[in-house]
Amino acid sequence: MFLPTFLYLVGFLILIFYYLVTLSLTNADAGLAGGFPSLANYRYIFISAEFRSAFLNTVLFVLIGTPLELIAGLVLALIIHKQFPLRGWVRSFFIIPLAIPAIVSAIILYILFAYPNGHVNNLLMGQYPFFPAILETPFNFRASAFYSLGISLIGKVWRDMPISMLILLAGLTSITQDQYAAAETMGASERQKFRYITLPLLLPSIASVLLIRSIEMWKEFIFPYFLARRYRLMGTLIEELYHDWHKTGEATAVSVVLVASIILSAILLFWFLKRFRQALIRI
Amino acid sequence: MIRQWWRLHINRVNVVWFVVMLLMIIVVALPVYFMIKYSISDRSSLLTGGEAIPLWPHHPTLRTYFYILSYPDFYKAAFISFKIAFLTILISMMVGVPASYVLARYHIPGKAVLLVSLISIRLFPDIVSIIPVAIAFAKLGLHDTYIGAALAHALLALPYVLYICMGIFESIPSDLERQAAILGAGKGQTLLRIVLPISATGLAAAAIYTFLLSWDEFIFSYFLLGLGELRTLPLYLKQKMSYSPPQDIIMAISMLLSLPVILFTLVLQKYMRSGMTAGAVK
Repeated sequence: MFLPTFLYLVGFLILIFYYLVTLSLTNADAGLAGGFPSLANYRYIFISAEFRSAFLNTVLFVLIGTPLELIAGLVLALIIHKQFPLRGWVRSFFIIPLAIPAIVSAIILYILFAYPNGHVNNLLMGQYPFFPAILETPFNFRASAFYSLGISLIGKVWRDMPISMLILLAGLTSITQDQYAAAETMGASERQKFRYITLPLLLPSIASVLLIRSIEMWKEFIFPYFLARRYRLMGTLIEELYHDWHKTGEATAVSVVLVASIILSAILLFWFLKRFRQALIRI
Repeated sequence: MIRQWWRLHINRVNVVWFVVMLLMIIVVALPVYFMIKYSISDRSSLLTGGEAIPLWPHHPTLRTYFYILSYPDFYKAAFISFKIAFLTILISMMVGVPASYVLARYHIPGKAVLLVSLISIRLFPDIVSIIPVAIAFAKLGLHDTYIGAALAHALLALPYVLYICMGIFESIPSDLERQAAILGAGKGQTLLRIVLPISATGLAAAAIYTFLLSWDEFIFSYFLLGLGELRTLPLYLKQKMSYSPPQDIIMAISMLLSLPVILFTLVLQKYMRSGMTAGAVK
């Protein structure tokens, strides 16, 4: 009964692994003879400016996006973690971003940031009475690396907030009220309670949010694909190399680098979180 | 209700909490609001000739929905999406449910390997794993077929199905099964008469979750079907995008694509939480 699943997952895993390794090590230009093994694809991508900028963009995307997801999730979780009327409704409401397909969220942002006439440009030019004019002329957000990738990042964080919220909420509810009550009798302030009770006890949830979200940030494709066509992340570069340039070898080489980066960053983060936990609890 | 609100004391912490809550509600609601707003906009609220786009359409209308729903294109795409989603449910439930039952009940060799491969499948970005899958499927003649797309979607859904179903089976006390055995029920009978009826709602949740995953999946469908005849709803939307059509049409299609997902997600959030907090995250 258990065998089909095992074969399905492991089979696909082997298939993916096999093709990634062989294709990325095959030099398509060398003809049928002597095309494998060859490091030509890797050599090609490491000297190409596109790959370097995509790699750098992706690293920045991860470094900025992961903490943002943690903060957004923490804010939502702390809001819900209080007893108040309609609590269930508000929690359900906060799950909505997850229920909007990513492609739809990306298209909504695409339309909102339209150039020259979109809601954001209208707003910033002071065309709505409740907001002061900041821009003189409409700004083309999609023509700027910073803004187009920034908008993708905001979209990604917006969509995934509920996941971080749910993980952190599970962690928060596992902290018993007794501990806060004990701290209060000893005269602890709100900040002290957060620093010495909530934070250490929440650390396992925070760690899993950081780990999972950083992996998801490396993997991001849909938002930059729709919002930042000219400025690539590694994910969108793979798609472009494969679909537009038909360079399967280079595409798989970038894929291998991406997977290696994910594994490396996960190990680094895991190690760092372990050290951080030790430091936090020693006090 | 009002009395309950009064019971919250007005102090600094509560005021900050309340303001932040309102703020986050707005942050969550705004994009959804604009999607609805665009989908019911009339011509004059879209093409303003340089004027600011109104925050609420001048003359709200459902005309765009009627327009889309009067075209066979939309139904064709929706039908293809449905068919692939049902095949995905069939495959992933048939493969996943027995396995999750065994995983929840017995200690078996290979369990560790399976759980590791489950996690490592999630370590591969979709965009990375689809290229090998697309190449292999092209060789096997599965490119641009319903079954090919469903097999690929099932790969994405299987980890969730396993996690959700394992949680459900673990929550059924094994005493029940032992009692049935004492009363003389065979293994198959116990499964059919005791375990399946109790877990039916949970399994339905897993099935619907699989449906949603396949329904709004874009990357795998794009690589496996994108250049052919079979066009799922997300691909239909993507194709419309490349022709730069009016925004009301785009947003109305988006609404029709999102509505089932929103409805079912809200109904099923209890079951999804277990899968998500377990680390099998989309």
